[in-house]
Amino acid sequence: MLSDPLILAYVISGFIIGTIFAAIPGLTATLALALLLPLTYSLDVTTALMACASIYMAGMCGGSITATTINIPGAPSSMMTALDGYPMQQKGKGALALGHAAVGSMVGGALGALLLIAVAPFVAEASLLVKTTGKFSLLAFAIVVIIIAQRGKMLKAAMAACIGLMLATVGLDAMEPVTRFTFGLSDLTAGIDLMPVIIGTFAISEILIQTNSSANARKAVEAFSKVTIRRRDFIPPLSSIRKIGVVCYVKSSLIGYFVGTLPGAGGSMGSFLAYAETVRTSSDPESFGKGNPKGIAASESANNAVCGGALVPMLTFGIPGDPITAIMLGVLVINGIQPGPQLMSGQAELIAPMLASLLFSAIVLIPLTLFLLGPYFIKIVSIRKDILYGIIALLAVVGSYVATYSGFQMIMALMMGVLAYYLRKNDFPIITLLLGFILGPNLEEFLRRSLALSNGNPLTFFTNLDSLFFIILTLVFVYFLAIKQPLKSPVKQTK
Amino acid sequence: MMLFNKNIAFFFLIFAFSVAYFATAFNLGSPISNNRVEPSFFPLLLGFFAVLFSSILLFKEISSSKNKDLDTSNEESQTTKGEKRKTNYAPLLIMLSIFLYILAFSFIGYFTSSFLFVLSIIVIFSSLEKIIQKSIISIVIVLVGYLVFDQLFGVRLPTVWG
Repeated sequence: MLSDPLILAYVISGFIIGTIFAAIPGLTATLALALLLPLTYSLDVTTALMACASIYMAGMCGGSITATTINIPGAPSSMMTALDGYPMQQKGKGALALGHAAVGSMVGGALGALLLIAVAPFVAEASLLVKTTGKFSLLAFAIVVIIIAQRGKMLKAAMAACIGLMLATVGLDAMEPVTRFTFGLSDLTAGIDLMPVIIGTFAISEILIQTNSSANARKAVEAFSKVTIRRRDFIPPLSSIRKIGVVCYVKSSLIGYFVGTLPGAGGSMGSFLAYAETVRTSSDPESFGKGNPKGIAASESANNAVCGGALVPMLTFGIPGDPITAIMLGVLVINGIQPGPQLMSGQAELIAPMLASLLFSAIVLIPLTLFLLGPYFIKIVSIRKDILYGIIALLAVVGSYVATYSGFQMIMALMMGVLAYYLRKNDFPIITLLLGFILGPNLEEFLRRSLALSNGNPLTFFTNLDSLFFIILTLVFVYFLAIKQPLKSPVKQTK
Repeated sequence: MMLFNKNIAFFFLIFAFSVAYFATAFNLGSPISNNRVEPSFFPLLLGFFAVLFSSILLFKEISSSKNKDLDTSNEESQTTKGEKRKTNYAPLLIMLSIFLYILAFSFIGYFTSSFLFVLSIIVIFSSLEKIIQKSIISIVIVLVGYLVFDQLFGVRLPTVWG
């Protein structure tokens, strides 16, 4: 499919848009995907998924641009990249640091995609063993893990998840002809649509949040935009890549991949753990945080490998690992496609091109985009904020109209945006709200089915092995992530 | 006075929303009948947890509000009144702009409503200076938006004539 010029154009456009959004501090690839989601209505689902995959990959590596050049990570996943990228930039090696970031992203992205291709069919097969009670426990596990992954604000994360779950109960009951929480509004009978929730949560709330952001990033970008960069400055010497070593790339990619499979962990957690591991095993830990390319390689390999990992639970169980995979799940749901083992075996023609796009983005588009557009990126990201948000606001509001051609959905998007804005302002993680909203209907259905099958006996969740497995797994995660001492920053360790 | 702190007000709203949800779930009927789980079961369960979490959050927020008040007074001394007022009202102005845009969208069509909307967002994020230049930029954005939505992706956008 990538040989089709139109599809290739969508994939490349998606990658460039994702890179630009990830590079601009305050914007994210999630926002890009939320804004472009309505446009996927007029694309066929395969093309839409391919474009989403390229945006995802671009979003993970694009954040390294401003992380390295102005010490402001464009995306949270690039926080660890800034630790060594910016010191390199201060030594006049900013372009080289970006080159190392690109190599790391390329290796991590490719390994993550290959592992996804290799592992997903087996996970899909294994998922057939999970019955109704097990499915409920699995969904509960996903929600609990994403809540406890929000360190320091677990209670707020739990509340946000509750709000998402509550919003998901609006409309016609899935098992009986009863409407709930519609308050006589016929527009709510079918429930709250996913589109206004995504647009409101990620696009409208972002516009509102940005009114409070400082102008520091723009000033820093303007100062840096005067620096001339040549294309050859981006290419890291082979000796430097050898010095980083295959082990560092592979180990970081594996860490990123496995972290990606956990709901809520995401790119920032992946790069944090990979960076910490690289510092721990290094013979020269003092050099980290002062411009060591190995730190950049570890961070970027891990956060790009997360892409492959996060797609495993999304494709096999319908559980998104992060906001981007949640929106990709939205693309599937909007097109009436149910993720799960049937999707992997029966509709491989839908998924295979997406995986190919992920691999293509990692191997071809990351290095090519940096080489061709690298010298201009910093100029692109210095676009005026007022114009940028004018465009985003138009895309967001008109985008919410596209799904049903209804003003009601636009109002819903605004209401969700206002809700998400105040939640974010008060430090509530909105990813748990979105996950609650997406997983809510299935969670309720499996809970009720399980209890119906066992004549209302709640012990059924402990007597079925698949369910017991996920309950034990939940307890293990709660112990290690919530009860045991949290991880310490590797930067503090090096200092 | 402490109870009317902005942050507490938000936590109180969350708590009130949770209580209202829980109460509405009660009105859906009995959660279990004849060993069968009814449609009110899950909302009641959710409502219970929501009330529990929101009441803990509200209590914690009230407890920590004294320290926050001290911090706020320090911050206030560092920012000018004008900047603070603009930051405070900008999100509300954007919410109002979006709301008016949604109302006007179907009535006066995509072009006029979108032009006014984009211009308003640009002005909120900057100022009223160089308004002609900003108007031209707004027209260009609206035209590009039309090309993307209507021409490229085949979305039917409303016009004055329906």
